Amino acid sequence: MSELTKLDRRDFMRGAAAVTFAGAAYAAVGDKTEGTVWQLDPNKCTQCGRCSTHCVLNPSAVKCMNQFNICGYCDLCFGYLQPGSRGRDTGAENQLCPTAAIKRTYIEDPYYEYVIDEERCIGCAKCVKACLVFGNASFYLQIRQDICINCNECSIAKACPSDSFSRVPASTPYIYLTGGVETTIPVRKGEEPQEKTVQHPA
Amino acid sequence: MLIGLPGLLVFAGMAALYSWLVYHPAWLLEAEVPGHDGRPAVDPSKAAQINLAGVFQKSDGHPASLPGAWTSFRGPAASNIATDPTSLADSWPEGGPKVVWKVPVGDGYAAPTVLNGCVYLMDYDVEKRADAVRCLSLEDGKEIWRRSYDINIKRNHGMSRTIPAVTDRYVVTVGPKCHVVCLDAARGDFRWGIDLTKDFGTEVPLWYSGQCPFIDNDVAVIAPCGASALLIGVACETGKVLWQTPNPRGWKMSHSSVIPMTLLGRKVYLYSALGGTACVSAEPDSSGKLLWDLPWDAKVVAPSPVKAGEDLIFVTAGYGKGSRLLKVQATAGGMGVEVVYDKTPDQILSCEQQTPIFHEGLLYGIMPKDAGALKGQFVCMKPDGTTVWSSGADNRFGLGPFLLADGKFLILDDEGALTMLDATKPGYSLLGHAEILHGHDAWGPLALAGSRLLLRDMNNLACVELGAGTAS
Repeated sequence: MSELTKLDRRDFMRGAAAVTFAGAAYAAVGDKTEGTVWQLDPNKCTQCGRCSTHCVLNPSAVKCMNQFNICGYCDLCFGYLQPGSRGRDTGAENQLCPTAAIKRTYIEDPYYEYVIDEERCIGCAKCVKACLVFGNASFYLQIRQDICINCNECSIAKACPSDSFSRVPASTPYIYLTGGVETTIPVRKGEEPQEKTVQHPA
Repeated sequence: MLIGLPGLLVFAGMAALYSWLVYHPAWLLEAEVPGHDGRPAVDPSKAAQINLAGVFQKSDGHPASLPGAWTSFRGPAASNIATDPTSLADSWPEGGPKVVWKVPVGDGYAAPTVLNGCVYLMDYDVEKRADAVRCLSLEDGKEIWRRSYDINIKRNHGMSRTIPAVTDRYVVTVGPKCHVVCLDAARGDFRWGIDLTKDFGTEVPLWYSGQCPFIDNDVAVIAPCGASALLIGVACETGKVLWQTPNPRGWKMSHSSVIPMTLLGRKVYLYSALGGTACVSAEPDSSGKLLWDLPWDAKVVAPSPVKAGEDLIFVTAGYGKGSRLLKVQATAGGMGVEVVYDKTPDQILSCEQQTPIFHEGLLYGIMPKDAGALKGQFVCMKPDGTTVWSSGADNRFGLGPFLLADGKFLILDDEGALTMLDATKPGYSLLGHAEILHGHDAWGPLALAGSRLLLRDMNNLACVELGAGTAS
């Protein structure tokens, strides 16, 4: 009979308690290495559209964001309106977004505000591409961390043609364009921005 | 129990059936129809009356005793090619050409014109909230006089963006909100003013008016593109509207300007409106007569039409639209037109803001942001779309202006760096490159008077000496 089989119940309980205590102590004072999450770098993104089709979630955890302090608040918003649209209004036939996820609101002459409805956004990047080419490039894609299930192997990362996806620290999970004016990363409209500052072209 | 379990089941079944019948699967859907953005209805006739005579202010500057003139948008020949024989330096010293003076100006892209040693600028005075027609000395940039009228302009990718037209007697300007003013060129005396929105039903374009007026034999030629007129000719002396071209298609004002040219031996005015291209007679006996109009559905049109041959016109627009070549021919009734081609920005020179140059059978310009690998490059193309040469991936100029003078291309990039190319050699032949303004959005067209080049960025206007033997 081996030594292990001689362990009586009292010893087993003592051992288990010791292991539990040691584990708790390690968790309290031990390794503080931060966890990481998936994020895409807008500087590398080519707006290929795969974020909307390759996420394991449907709709995708990748959403469009609008950086309000970069946005031109234009009446003629290339991220909102179809190329060649006859009207500058909220008619479906004029909207570029396939799910009408951008809400356009008159502020004052000549400014309009564009807010993303993330319930509708599928991360197709059509608006991002149009705003980048002809506008101020205030639209950009990011993985919403409250939606993302943080797969060990991200399906979009595998499909991304520009290697835009990487693991980033969970405490600073958003990335924005670099160079130029410092600004804070926006969260949803009405929420407080994070403390981290990033760079964006003037 | 009066009903019992069977009764309850029947009731539940009927309720379920009723729910199924009345339920509409789309009841939560919201119709995406016009009018959900809260855009207010605007009645131009109820806009505030502006006192266009405004306020005159004399300063201590004096007209320069310097040669050279650049009297309107695209220069004396409306081609962006200098006709002045002044020689320019073939190279610049290490620090670049000498910046003679530099003055702050209001936000925008409005560029100057030059005549008789005076620099004329349609500026916006941000502090006083006023459009300001300014007359500066070409010598040192000091202000000689200004006449300004109160109007509230908000930043919308700049504020001012038009170029005055000037003759020995008159200077005519178009303000951001389509107010036309004519002043005495020397003294700044107010002659007359027109509010195009009130008088002709003009709709102020997106990002404000970019139209530069043109003076033809003391007649100011303007394109209101309102309900009652496509183009008008106004006597500079009196302000009387001498002729007006109807606008039956209801085209709108673009950022383009009226360009005079001669087609098939006939003087005409060409204008790229929002809606299409119009050709109007400029002959004395038929001024204002519409010769032809050709629809084109570009959403934004900033470049002006370019004559690209005896009977060819090159029309271009940015924001994804591309370019088209038009061919005119004589008809029994006057003049007709046909489209030679319509091409996309990846097939042909296509310009977002600046108007191309046509020189010795070739088109020159900067490719737009959606031109793929040629994005932002200065290119030389045949009118059929064949690329002759381009500036290369390391030489991109954004939305900057350019002109041709003394066999040299002068090109400004977005940040105000000036590049000089040898236009007499095929290919991208660099003669000089210098950081001049260090700003941003340096998109105002260049003006060259003699050997002095005027250039601007968003907030500064500078004068640079480029003359042969003096550029140090």
